[in-house]
Amino acid sequence: MTTTASPALPATKPEIRRVRRWWPTPKLLIIVAVVGVIGYLALVPLYYLLWGTFFDANGFSLGGFARAYGDGRIGGLVANSLWFAIGAAVLALFVGTSLAYLNVRTDVPFKALFFAASIIPLIIPGILYTIAWIFLASPDIGLLNKVIEPIFGHGIVLDVFTVWGMIWVEGLHLSPIVFLLMVAAFRAMDPSLEESALMSGATRLQVFRRITVPLTRPAIIAAVLIMTVRSLESFEVPALLGLQNGIYVFTSRIYFVLRTYPPDLGAAGALAVGLLVLAMIGVAISNLAGRSGKSFQTVTGKGFRPRPMELGRWRPVMGAAILAYFFFTVVGPLLVLLYTSFLKFYQPPSAAAFKSMSLDNYRQLLHLSQAMTALKNSVYLGLGSATLVMAAMAIGAWIVVRSRIPGRQLVDQLAFVPLVIPGLVLGLALSFVYLRSPIPIYGTLFILLIAYCTRYMPYGMRYAVTSMQQISAELEESAQVSGASWWQTFRRVLLPLLSPGLLAGWIYILVVSFRELSSSILLYSPGNEVLSILIFEQYENGQFTVLSALGVVMVLTLVVLVTVAYKLGAKVGLKQD
Amino acid sequence: MKTIGLWRRGRLACVLAAGIALTLVGGCGGSPTAGGPKAGGSDGPTAAEKVYAEIAGLSGKQRRDKLVELAEKEGKLDLYTSMTSDVADAVTGEFSDKFGIDVNVYRAGSETVLQRILQEQGANFRGNDVVETNANELFALNKEHFLAEYKGERRDLVPEAGRFEGWTATRFNLFAPSWNTKLVPAEQQPKTWEDLADPKWDGKLSMELADYDWYLTLYGYWKKQSKSDEEIDRLFAAMAQGAKIAKGHTVQGELLSAGQFSVVASNYSYIVERAKKKGAPVDYLPFVQPVIARPNGVGLMKTAQHPAAAMLFADWLLEEGQKLLVDEGLTPAIVEDNDPLKGVEIVPVDVKTLVEHGDEWSKRYEKVVSNGEQVKDK
Repeated sequence: MTTTASPALPATKPEIRRVRRWWPTPKLLIIVAVVGVIGYLALVPLYYLLWGTFFDANGFSLGGFARAYGDGRIGGLVANSLWFAIGAAVLALFVGTSLAYLNVRTDVPFKALFFAASIIPLIIPGILYTIAWIFLASPDIGLLNKVIEPIFGHGIVLDVFTVWGMIWVEGLHLSPIVFLLMVAAFRAMDPSLEESALMSGATRLQVFRRITVPLTRPAIIAAVLIMTVRSLESFEVPALLGLQNGIYVFTSRIYFVLRTYPPDLGAAGALAVGLLVLAMIGVAISNLAGRSGKSFQTVTGKGFRPRPMELGRWRPVMGAAILAYFFFTVVGPLLVLLYTSFLKFYQPPSAAAFKSMSLDNYRQLLHLSQAMTALKNSVYLGLGSATLVMAAMAIGAWIVVRSRIPGRQLVDQLAFVPLVIPGLVLGLALSFVYLRSPIPIYGTLFILLIAYCTRYMPYGMRYAVTSMQQISAELEESAQVSGASWWQTFRRVLLPLLSPGLLAGWIYILVVSFRELSSSILLYSPGNEVLSILIFEQYENGQFTVLSALGVVMVLTLVVLVTVAYKLGAKVGLKQD
Repeated sequence: MKTIGLWRRGRLACVLAAGIALTLVGGCGGSPTAGGPKAGGSDGPTAAEKVYAEIAGLSGKQRRDKLVELAEKEGKLDLYTSMTSDVADAVTGEFSDKFGIDVNVYRAGSETVLQRILQEQGANFRGNDVVETNANELFALNKEHFLAEYKGERRDLVPEAGRFEGWTATRFNLFAPSWNTKLVPAEQQPKTWEDLADPKWDGKLSMELADYDWYLTLYGYWKKQSKSDEEIDRLFAAMAQGAKIAKGHTVQGELLSAGQFSVVASNYSYIVERAKKKGAPVDYLPFVQPVIARPNGVGLMKTAQHPAAAMLFADWLLEEGQKLLVDEGLTPAIVEDNDPLKGVEIVPVDVKTLVEHGDEWSKRYEKVVSNGEQVKDK
C-alpha cells in the first residue's frame, strides 16, 4: 500500500455498515452536495457555451471554428499569444516564487513591507496598472526613460509597447497568484529536509534546485497552469500595449467576434473550446504529477515547525534586491497613480503640474452617488464568494486527492472549466437560466454571488488541491484509527493543516472579486452596483484622474483587509517560530 | 470489496450532479443562444402600446398634463442606458426632481444594454420601460420588434437623419480629428480628412480599434465625392501606415493629453472638449469637415410597465432635456436657435449599412488597422 504510494484512505468498516443500511452518512451528503454544486456551477455556462459553439439556428454547425481559426494570420496570432503567455507565466513564476521563498523560508529583512506590497499589483485594476506603465516606460512620454536618459544616453530606451513590455506588465500583474500559492506551499514544508542537505555539504542554490523546488512541484504546476491560461485570455495588456505596434494576439479575436451584433458566440465559443482543451490537458498532467507519490507530502505525522533559514551575509543583498524590485514594480506604478490622482489631467511632472495639484478627485469620489452602496456590495460579495468557494473547494480537493471515488478527476476538470469561459458568456448563461428559473434570483445580489463563485472556483480548487497534495494521508489515518469520524477528521485535522492554502485562496478571491466586471456589468441591477462598475463608469467618463484616486483608495482598503486576514491567519495552522 | 461501496456512491454523486445541472438547464428547452421568441408579434398591441397610441394624438400642454397625471400614478421609471454616468446622473436627477418619479437606471456599454434587453425579452421579463443608447443597438432592438412607435411634435423637430422606425435621436456623437496643441504647432493641424494620410503623421497618429462606423461613413462620403475605391483604400492604408492603434476612445483621449500621440483620427469631440475644459493641451477646433455624426437615441418598449412615464421621459428628453445635454457638453438632436455647429457640414453615420453589413465593414476595418494592408475583396 505504501509503496504504490496512493494517498487514498482505505474505507473503514463502520462506514460500509452504515451504507448498507441505506442511511446517507454526513460524509456522503456533504460529498454529494459539493460535487453537485461544482457540477452545477460549471455545467450551466459550459452547456451554454457548447450550444452556442456547435449549434446555430440551423442545427449542428462547425462554422464557429471556421470563423475563429480560419483567418490567414491565425498562425502569427497563436505564436504571439504563446510567446506572450509563456513569457508572462515564467516571469510571474520566477518573481512570485522568489518572493514567497524569501518571505516564508528566510530571515530576509522588510518582511512586513513586502508582504502587503507584493499583493498590490493584484489590487490595482488591470487597466490602471497598464496605463501607469505606459506613463512610466513609453518611449515617447515614459518617466523612467527621462530618468535613465542622462545615465545611458539616447541609445537605450525602455519600450513598453513590445512583446517584452507586455510580458513584463502581465507577468508582474500575475505574480501575486504565484506568490500566494507558493507561500502556502512553503509554509507547509518541513525545513529539516533542506537543513539535512545543507549539512551534507550542498550549496544554497543546490538545495533550492534539488530539494525545495521538487517538493513544491504541485504548487508550481498549478501556478503555471493558471497563469498560462490567464495570460492567453488576458485582453487589457495586449489591447493597450500590443496593438500600438500591431502585435495581435489570440484574444483580440474573441474581442472582435463578441463585439458585433448578434455577438458571434459560435466563434467566441470555438476559441474558448480551444483554450478548454489546453486547460484540461494541463489539469490532467498536474494531477498525474501530483499523484506520483508521497514525494510532496511534507506535512506528515512527524512533528516539525517551519523555521526561517538564516541568510547570513546574503541578508543585506537580498534586502537591497527586494527594495529595488518594489521600487520598480510596486512603488513606481503606485506613485504614478498617486501623482495622477492629484491632477486635473495627466501631464508629465513639472512645476506647473505640481502647482495645479488638489484633492478635487478625492472630493468627487465622496460625492459619487452609489459609492457607499457599491463598496458595501463589493465587500459582501468578496467575503461571501471567497468563503463559499474555499469551503466547498476544501471538500472538493479532498474528493480529488484523497478519495477513491471513480470519476473524481472529473470533479477537478469541472472545477477548472469556468477559467476558460469568457465573462460575457458566463453572464449571458446565468441571465438565461435565472430569467427562467422559478427562484427569484435575477435582479438581486445573489445572481452576482453565483457568478463570482463560478468564476473563482478554478482558483479555489487549485489552491486547495495544491495544499491537500502536501498533506500526508497518515495524519488522517491516525485520526480515524483513534476513532474520529470523517467529519471530525476533516474539521480537526485537515482544515487546520490546509489553512495556509485556503487562506491564500481566500485572499486571492477577495481581492480579485473587487475587480470583476465582465459578468457583473450584465447582471447587476439598479441598487446592486459593485465597485468594479463604478470604476468602469469613471473610466468611460474619461475621468482618469478620479479613477486613479479610486485606485489609490482601493489599494489602501484591500491592503488593510489583507493584512488583517493574514494576522488572523497566522494564529491558526502551522506555527512559525 | 472495500471499494465497491465507494464506487457506487461515486457514481451516484456524478449522476446526481449531472442530473441536477441538465434538468435545470435542459428543462428550458431549445438552444439558449438561438435567440428568443419575438415579442409583440401578431398578438395585437400591448397595453403599453395602447397608452402610447392614446397619447400620440395629443400635443402641447394637454399632452404633458395627461402624461404627468398618468406617470404619477405609475410612480417610477425603469431606464436602461449607455449614457456615461455623469450625464445619466444629471438627466435622471433633473427628471425625478421635476416630476417626482423615481428613476431606476441600469447603465452599461451599449452592447451590454442590448444583450440585457435581448435576454430579458427572450424570457418575457419586463425589465425596462425605455432605452437610451447608440444607433446600432437601437436598430437591432427595432429589428427584434421590441420597440413601440413613438409619435409627437418633439420627434417631428428632430432632423430627418435622426428619426428612425422605433426610435428617435436625442443626441449626436461627433467624430472629428483632434490633436495635442503642444506637439502640433498652430496651423499645422490636419484640416481635411485626407490630411491624416500625410506621411508626416507616421508614428504620431492614433486610430481606434473598433471605429468601423466612422470608417464606413467616411468611405461612403468619399465615394460620393467620386473618389475611386482604390483611392479611398490607399488613403486609409496611408493613415494606418505607422499609426498607433488604441482601444477605447477614453484611453485615446487620455494618451493624447499626455502626449503619447500627436493626432487622433476619430475621437468623439465631447471627450476632447472635456479634457480641453480642464486645461489639457488638446483641441479639435476648427472642425475638420465633414464632421461625422453618430446618433444616439431613445426608444419606448412595447412591454413597458410604466408606459406613461416612459413617454414622458422621451418627450422631456427631447424638450427640456436637450438643454441639459448641451450643458453636459453633448450635441443635441434638436437645435432651435444658436446652433453651435452652424455652417459645419455634418454627415450622419449610415446606420442602415452599419446594421445590415456591419460585420463585413468591421472585418475590412480590422484589416486596415491591423497592418495597413490594402483591402481588395469587395
